[in-house]
This record gives sequence, structure tokens and C-alpha cells, in this order.
Amino acid sequence: MSAAHAEVASGTRIKGIYAHLDCLLAGIEKLKEAGISGFQVLSPLPRHEILEAVYEGRPSPVRWWTLVGGITGINTGLLLTSLTASQWPMINPGGKPVVALPPYAVIMFECTILFGALFTLAGLIVHCGLPGFGLDKSLQDPRVSDDKFGIAFLRASAKDLERIAAILSDTGAIEITRGDDTIYEVPNA
Amino acid sequence: MHESIDANRPDSYAAANRDIIRVLLKPNLGWAVLFIIATSMMLYGFWCEFQQLTWGLGIAGYNPPIMWGVYIVTFVFWVGIGHAGTLISAILFLVRSRWRTGVYRASEGMTVFAVMTALLFPVLHLGRAWQVYWFFPYPNQRYLWVNFKSPLMWDVFAISTYFTVSAVFFFIGLVPDLAVVRDHSTGLVKKIYAVLALGWHGTDRQWYHYMGAYGFFAALAAPLVLSVHSVVSWDFAMAVTAGWHSTIFPPYFVAGAIFSGCAMVITLLLPMTYAFKWHAYVNMWHFEHLAKMCLLTSGILTYAYGVEYFIGWYSQNAYEWGIFSWRATGEYAWAFWIMVFCNCVAPLPWYFRKVRTNPWALFIISIFVNIGMWFERFNIVISSLAHQFDPATHAYYRISPIEYGIMIGSFGWFGFWFLLFLQTLPAIAIAEIKEMIAPPVRGAAHVEAK
Repeated sequence: MSAAHAEVASGTRIKGIYAHLDCLLAGIEKLKEAGISGFQVLSPLPRHEILEAVYEGRPSPVRWWTLVGGITGINTGLLLTSLTASQWPMINPGGKPVVALPPYAVIMFECTILFGALFTLAGLIVHCGLPGFGLDKSLQDPRVSDDKFGIAFLRASAKDLERIAAILSDTGAIEITRGDDTIYEVPNA
Repeated sequence: MHESIDANRPDSYAAANRDIIRVLLKPNLGWAVLFIIATSMMLYGFWCEFQQLTWGLGIAGYNPPIMWGVYIVTFVFWVGIGHAGTLISAILFLVRSRWRTGVYRASEGMTVFAVMTALLFPVLHLGRAWQVYWFFPYPNQRYLWVNFKSPLMWDVFAISTYFTVSAVFFFIGLVPDLAVVRDHSTGLVKKIYAVLALGWHGTDRQWYHYMGAYGFFAALAAPLVLSVHSVVSWDFAMAVTAGWHSTIFPPYFVAGAIFSGCAMVITLLLPMTYAFKWHAYVNMWHFEHLAKMCLLTSGILTYAYGVEYFIGWYSQNAYEWGIFSWRATGEYAWAFWIMVFCNCVAPLPWYFRKVRTNPWALFIISIFVNIGMWFERFNIVISSLAHQFDPATHAYYRISPIEYGIMIGSFGWFGFWFLLFLQTLPAIAIAEIKEMIAPPVRGAAHVEAK
């Protein structure tokens, strides 16, 4: 392990809680301007401003799961119908060809949707890290499912800690915790 | 009741949380009475099915050649009911329609439970329910595979795909809201909701992929909902039976499904809104939109009914014209005219705003629509089989007491799950309601609600 990696691995948790969306967005921008990365934003709802600020318009890779699922599904539908019919070609209901694409298109369509949805679910689970029961406790803040926002660093390096705390407080965080200690709090916020 | 989505909206995310989850796990007397009634109906249905399993299909009212009866009628009815939920949750999501927000979760729940109910009927119709696995392609030593060229096999794939995708879509939508319930509960209840919420904590990573995936679920569910009832219609339209063999069946069935589904959403949501005092989230603005959807689809159905008669007359086909004239004047004319009244005439007062914003008028007309749509399927299924090409085979079908019992049981089964859902899961989508509320801001920056 390199020295830099060792420092990150042994870093300190620091989290700022915000009561206002504009303050949170200012905090994200200031952190990015300061070249500090590795933070997670906590939010009670999906706000496009937050996702835009963090991911800068990059689409989620879940879409590739959907595409692969759809392609897998249509091929599964085609193979399932064609191969099963070919296994005993003597049975020819309705006088149709053994491999009759128009009626099989219905099964292929349904399989496309089914596999597309199941692969999307798998992609969601993988990329979201669900089930997320082992998430760091600084990310588990019940206030966030209510009406607060947050910026959390799981492992901030020692040299960044002071800068991060300053940015969080300057941009309107109502509470800052470092490790398990509250180092800054706005009363009655 | 307020007439705008903005009226009486809560001013904070916390208030929305409180309002929506306060009703969970707190059954009141009205809920308990309805739950007991639904459970009793369901148990009676189970008893009737037990009788049928014991004595065989002979105790159902089948009378050759009428070998599709109430089970198929009710199957199509419940599949149709499910359609409005997916329409509201998926299609209206894709077109960013704002009125879906308050009503989509309950509609999605209705979809999942309606399809669960529909799935029972092919099994009941089998008689030998233990052979249900014959529906599915499974490897066997006889190389005896299912016939994928049959519309009945298309139906198996369509309905099972529809149920799976609807259930996934429903559950994924629930996850962030289950986290809210988890964070507002204690003890064992908290532990249960924590498991159901899958460790959701609202991180940017979770929201980012969630929003990406949700759009794809909606994009997949939208064509699915249109295909499912088209496939159901092909169960009939692919058969060379007068009154069934028609190319207008897919759009006609899809319109009918949306019509009955939207009416069922009104029937279920209207009392729920009053009982839970959810006027800030679901109000006349939503019900008016649902009534307009019903009006549109009622118009399409009325047109389709007319076109069927026109085709029968214009084709000069004696069998086609024979079945349609018999439907309106023969032994099942009573069912035909109930259908026409309930589906074509009863919704007409909704053209008047005063009527479609009156809770009692909405509720009563929606019940008429539900009845009319069941009779539409009765007309299609029974009358065509009762009056086939050879007059020597003409027959009459009477619904047997066991079939009545199983049909009543299906309503009990649906009610049982829906009522359980109302008490255990947020019936209004909390995260999406929050998107309608202006976010808290401190500075001069003005941030709009979505």
C-alpha cells in the first residue's frame, strides 16, 4: 500500500448537515473548486441540481444493464421458441412453419421486457450498493430522510480536514461532526 | 376538497413525511370492518375452490360448447383493472404529467394486487390446479414442449412478465419511502422496515442510479402495458369464432382496460382520501383527470362497439351479423344492455365539470363503470360461445353458485391485499411528493419545486 493510500485508508470521517438546498449546493461547488473530492451527498429526495453538481450530466451506467438485458431477452425468446419447436418438428400446430417468427415475436417481445427489467434491477442493486446495511454510520442519518441535506467524507486526509470543516461552516452547514464529535453546531437550526 | 395541486400543499418535507406515514400500523374501525369483510369473502372463495377441487369442474356452470365461463370473464376483468396503475405510474411518468404524483403509488398497488388476482383464474379454470406447471416450458423426457404458436401461451408469458415487472417497479418505487418509515419508527417495526428499505440512506450515488433505473423501468413498463391487453385480446381474436375474430380487438381491449382501471382507481382512492384526510395530496384535481381519462376511453369503447356492429352489417357475413344482432336481442340481451348503459351512457354526466368534481357522482359512476366492464367481458366470452355457427350447438350458460363464490372470493382476495397495503406501506409516494414542494433555501437563490 502506498503512503497516499495508507493516509486515505486511515482518514477521518467528517460530515456537515445542511438545512437549506442552496447552502448545500454552495458547499459542493466550494469543495470542487478547492480540488477536494471523495465526498458523498445525502438528500431526502432526488434533486437534479445535486446530481448535476456531483455527476456533471454523466448518465448512470445502469442503462447498459438494461441494454444487455433487452438483447439477452430477445435472443432467449428466439432460442426458446425455435429450439423447443425444432426438437420435435413433427408437431406442427396450425399448419405454420416449425420456426414461425410472427407468433414467436410475441414471446421475444415479452422476454425482452422481462430480461430488460430484471437486468435493470440487477444493475440498480450493484451500482447503488444495495442492500446497503453495511454503510458507514456517518451516512446513516435519519434527519436526511426527513428534511435535511448532508455532505459526508468517510475518510478525509488529515491535511484536508481543516479546509473541509471551514468550507462546510462557511457555506452554511448547521452541524459539523468529525469522527464522533460535533465540532460545530448552529443552535436551534 | 381543493381543486388545484398547489392548494393546501404542505410547506416542508418533514410535514409531508408526517402526513403520509401517520396512518401506517394504526388500523381504525372502518378499516377493520372492511378488512374483516374482505377476509370473509376471500375465505368463502377458498371454500368454493376447495369444493371445485373436490368435485371437479362439473359444479361450475360450463355447458358445452360454452367451456369458457366466469373464470375467464373475471380473469380478463382483473387484468384490465391493473392497466390504469401502470398507465399512471409509467406512461404519465415518461410524459412528466404532474397529476400522477398523488395517485400513482395506490394505483401501482392496485395493479400488482389486481394482477395477483387475475393470475388465480387460469389456475381455477384448469380444474386440476395441481397441473398448473403444464403452462410453463420445462425440459422433460418426452420432448413435449408448450406450443408457442398459441395465443394462450403468449398470454402466460405476457401476464407473468407483467406481474414481475409491475411488482419490481412497485417495490423499487417504495424503497426510499420505506427508509422514511424506518427512520420514524422504533423497535421491531423499525427492524422490519430497515430490512425492507434495503439500507437506503439517500446518498447521491443511490439517487443517481435510482433515477437512471426508474426511467428505464418506466420505459419498459409503458409498451408492456399496451402489449399485455393486446395479447389478452388475441386469446379471442385469433380464434375463428364469430364476434371474436376481429382486428380491432387489441386497441379496443387496451382502451377498455384503461377505462375500467381508472374507474377502479376512483372507486378505491376517493374513500381513502376522505378516510385518511389526504386532501393536500390527492384532491379533486386528480379525480377530475381520472374522470377525463374515463371519458376519453369510454368514447373509444362506444366507437368500438359501434364499429363491431358496422363490420357485422357491412361484411354481409351471416354469422358475424347473426352473433351481433343476437347479443342485443337474444337471451343475453340483458347483459349487453347493462354493458351499453354502464360503459357508454353512465359516464356521460362527467362531461359536466360539476358532476366530475362531485365526490358522490364520481364514486357512483365509477361503480357503474366497473360493473359495465365486467359485463363487457361477459358479453364477449359467453355470447360468442353460446351462439356459434351450427344452431344445433347453441346453448345457455348459467353461473353456478360455486362460480359466484369464487368470483366474490376474488374481490375479497384483492381487498385483503389492498387493505393490508394501506396499513403497512406508504400509499402516497413520499419522495415524489417532496419533489412538488419548494425546497428549503436560505439565500437569495430561488429554487423552484419540480
